[in-house]
Amino acid sequence: MRVALAEDGALFREGLQMLLRAAGHEVVGCAAGGDELVAMLTGVHADVAVLDIRMPPEPDGGLVTAERLRALYPSMGLLFLSHYAESHYLMRILDIGTDAIGYRLKEKVGSVEVLTDTLDRIHDGEIVIEPVLAKRLVERPRGDRRNALGVLTERELDVLRVMAEGRSNTGIAAQLYVTPKAVEKHIANIFGKLGLTTETTQQHRRVLAVLTYLRSQDAG
Amino acid sequence: MTVDPACRDGDAVPPPGPGRVTGWSQWSQRRGLERRLHDGAALRVSALALRLGLVRCRLPEDDVELHAAVDGMQDELHAVLQELRGIAAALYPPLLDEAGLGPALREEADRRGVGVTLDVPDNRFGATAEGAAYFAVAASLAARPAGRITVAAHRDGADLLLRVHGVPRAHAAHFREGAEPLGGSVGVGGGDPVTITARFPCG
Repeated sequence: MRVALAEDGALFREGLQMLLRAAGHEVVGCAAGGDELVAMLTGVHADVAVLDIRMPPEPDGGLVTAERLRALYPSMGLLFLSHYAESHYLMRILDIGTDAIGYRLKEKVGSVEVLTDTLDRIHDGEIVIEPVLAKRLVERPRGDRRNALGVLTERELDVLRVMAEGRSNTGIAAQLYVTPKAVEKHIANIFGKLGLTTETTQQHRRVLAVLTYLRSQDAG
Repeated sequence: MTVDPACRDGDAVPPPGPGRVTGWSQWSQRRGLERRLHDGAALRVSALALRLGLVRCRLPEDDVELHAAVDGMQDELHAVLQELRGIAAALYPPLLDEAGLGPALREEADRRGVGVTLDVPDNRFGATAEGAAYFAVAASLAARPAGRITVAAHRDGADLLLRVHGVPRAHAAHFREGAEPLGGSVGVGGGDPVTITARFPCG
């Protein structure tokens, strides 16, 4: 995969470059800030851009850079790496785009397997969300959603948590050691119990429906 | 209080908090410490996690024990970073620094599972007023008062004017601790729960 990256911390930038190369990816651009990266990518194709959130242009250069890249190259995947996993930033990231986009903690992409899995999923158009954050969203949903989640079984909560990471049915099945068919059934139950509907079976739309649900106030 | 040059350079960092550092300087100092953690120790540890990942991919594939050992070390580094995140949040929440009072209070209320109605504008009030106001409300949220709390903020002249409705009368102390060292003031109205009006000078 052709990867471009922008990160203002030299130590982390170097480490990530080395790990990307070790994973067999080509680093086509490497910058200490967002403006520099955008300039670098003129005439250079990248499959995914990896961006630090808190970098120049300050204060959150990763977000403004992502907006520019999405406008210039709509098919380029975007992976945000940050020291903090905050739902505030997740929502801002999903405002930039809801496909081929990801948000992970810096120290959590520290293996060739995880890094490649994350990049592959983004390249395939999926949403990838830091499991630490997905878990927090499911365990501590906003306000009255807490009671609504109370009607789910333990197993359904497990499925919801992995689903909130942006995993596909096969991905959820593999992680929970159940069949994809069982996952489908659990998901239908979850959507039914929470009163959620999705007109589409597209996986990233479904993830979005779940995340929006967890972060919204219950009107009733 | 002025910043002790020794603190800037490294070794002895005085714990900020009531009794040690008060008034205007404490909030910008706290924010400085959070930024230092983010740009220093946290970044080094994250980079170290990546370097361990590099080592891991050079290990012989069949050495299960070594692979597990490296995984264990990476998990430990994540735990170290989570502790640093906890310290950063207690010093000066990064979201308060970057996004302001509204988003920071929203995140804290969600974390505590307290129902809060926020009416806080996007405009900024400066590190001192925002820090003092944030920690006063956060102390109230930490007590998990029953019922819904309403927090409204706006700029009134040179002050950040905060109105908090639905907290016990005793919570006024949190707001006095935050506002008075800055030369601000606190008023309490209504029965119990009360409405607290606190003024934090923006400087």
